[in-house]
Amino acid sequence: MEKTVEIPGTPPADDLRRLSISRRIALGAWNSLEFRIGLSVFLFMLLMAIFYPMLSDIDPTRMNVRARLIPPVFMGEGATWAHPLGTDQLGRDMLVRSLVGLRYSLLIGGATVALMLFVGCLVGLFAGYRGGLTDTLLMRITDAQLSIPMIILAIAILGVARPTIPAIIIVLGLSGWPVYARVMRSVIMAERKREFVRGATVLGASDMRIMFLLLLPLCLPPIAFVAVLDVARMMIFESVLGFLGLGVQPPTPTFGNIIADGRKYLLNAWWIATMPGIFLFLTLASLNLMGAALERSRNRVYGGIE
Amino acid sequence: MFILGFLARRLAQGALIVFLVSFLIFTLLRVIPGDPVRLMVGGMAPDELVEQIAAEMGLRDPIPVQFMRYMGGVVQGDLGQSFIRPASGAAVGGAQFDDATRSERARVLTLIADTAPFTIQLALLSMFFALLVATPIGVYGGLNQGRWPDRLALYIGSLFVSLPNFWLGIVLALLLSVHLGWLPAIGYQGFAYTILPAIVLAVEIIPFILRTLTVSVAQIMRESYISAAYIRGLSRTRIIFAHALKNASVPLLNLLGVQFSMLLGGVLVVEFIFDYPGLGLLTINAVLQRDFPLIQGIAIVTSAAFVLINIIVDLVSTSIDPRLDY
Repeated sequence: MEKTVEIPGTPPADDLRRLSISRRIALGAWNSLEFRIGLSVFLFMLLMAIFYPMLSDIDPTRMNVRARLIPPVFMGEGATWAHPLGTDQLGRDMLVRSLVGLRYSLLIGGATVALMLFVGCLVGLFAGYRGGLTDTLLMRITDAQLSIPMIILAIAILGVARPTIPAIIIVLGLSGWPVYARVMRSVIMAERKREFVRGATVLGASDMRIMFLLLLPLCLPPIAFVAVLDVARMMIFESVLGFLGLGVQPPTPTFGNIIADGRKYLLNAWWIATMPGIFLFLTLASLNLMGAALERSRNRVYGGIE
Repeated sequence: MFILGFLARRLAQGALIVFLVSFLIFTLLRVIPGDPVRLMVGGMAPDELVEQIAAEMGLRDPIPVQFMRYMGGVVQGDLGQSFIRPASGAAVGGAQFDDATRSERARVLTLIADTAPFTIQLALLSMFFALLVATPIGVYGGLNQGRWPDRLALYIGSLFVSLPNFWLGIVLALLLSVHLGWLPAIGYQGFAYTILPAIVLAVEIIPFILRTLTVSVAQIMRESYISAAYIRGLSRTRIIFAHALKNASVPLLNLLGVQFSMLLGGVLVVEFIFDYPGLGLLTINAVLQRDFPLIQGIAIVTSAAFVLINIIVDLVSTSIDPRLDY
């Protein structure tokens, strides 16, 4: 990590200052070891999840009772390379099931965070830019939502209604947006008093134009970077729901329902419950490392330290 | 006088929040498909009986009427009766509709009061574990920002936050109680049964404490009063423990208030895995059995707890750091 001391108010000393803020955050993160480790692990898992189930041509839901409870290859006896991570109680291949579970997990995690960002940033943008009554109203709703124990609400809704993928995304997404609304609002409130906004107003730009073409591209990327952390959080959430039987329903494999199933066979076939967890853990750890690196880089850029 | 005004304002706000939560949960439970009466009387009961029981219980009245009746009871401290659970013994779930042995149903308030102490015990123990591990690492990381202790805190935080709690629970139960036989895992027959769930919960809390602590300690160490303390000739130990840590504990307390709902989610899952007889297990069973009064009661109690914890957090924060003003 290079040491460049930036003193606020002085003219830029190097090229770094000429880049946009989001580029500087991305660059700062890219320069850290954590980010590179995280990114390589993540890309590896992503490619596996996309291509292995397709190329290996094993159906994750096809049962084969004759080949049930085969241990993973590193266990030695009875294991075959046809099922590198063994099979479950119905003879389904664990590797393919884990990777298909990873697909759903990533899909739901990503979509949920996108929804959270969309709703949260829109609310924050309007509240911060309009101010006054709009602000008070929107922020009171946000506060109210923040103080509701959303986990109980989410479980209650999904427990009583049918948990389909869109329902899960909506429930999780609606429980997470208030934080983004708050952050976005505070950023927008700081930015809208700046010269370039006044300049645009003088040039006759409409409010919508200023909000969506000037402020949003400036303020969104730093927030979106750190949202990587929330993708990981939502993936855990999704798997917890699956574990409780409130997530995507079987026979579709998800981490949650595979592990919940495998729990019954823990004593004689421990790999069913533990192997998918390792995939989930590696993916989450890679996301969290990237997110933490991005967050630190952002704090450095905004804090002006280093 | 200031304190009284503060308390009155916050309690009024809190009452409003609790009211909103109950209304939201109440409405959602009734709008969403899934008939609790059908579950109560069992699948074999004739439709007329279902309708008759539903009408007797007032479940076919308009939602606002039902809600007002319910809130009338809540204000008097009556959270109603469980749909499913008998006053004594375990849940009966889908019993026969003409089961004569079916007894009086349990009161929601009693159910909650019976299970809450277990959850509180679990929460306190896990908090203790989490602080025990996270405080030294976090403070040391914050004091040495950018060097290896800081990295260590970052790595531990990133790894722990990536461990799904239910998976960790299963793995630890397999290792520590099945293979090594060190700790009991399932059910509750004594204090030892709290330890394993508390460890799992602590692992979930540690990353948040670490992150808050490293950031706030690092920030405080750059303050001018810390430099001034050096000039005043105070020892480094004294500065860190008496000046820096005291002020760094304010964000930590706030974290407790903000992350309460996350903690709640963790409790839910951990209690479910270890079959620990607390509020979390009660909640999950209530949801799975569509026990409306119980779900509502739990939602009201937890949102009230949330409000109270946040008020206490703010009060304690102001007494630690008088510059804060609520």
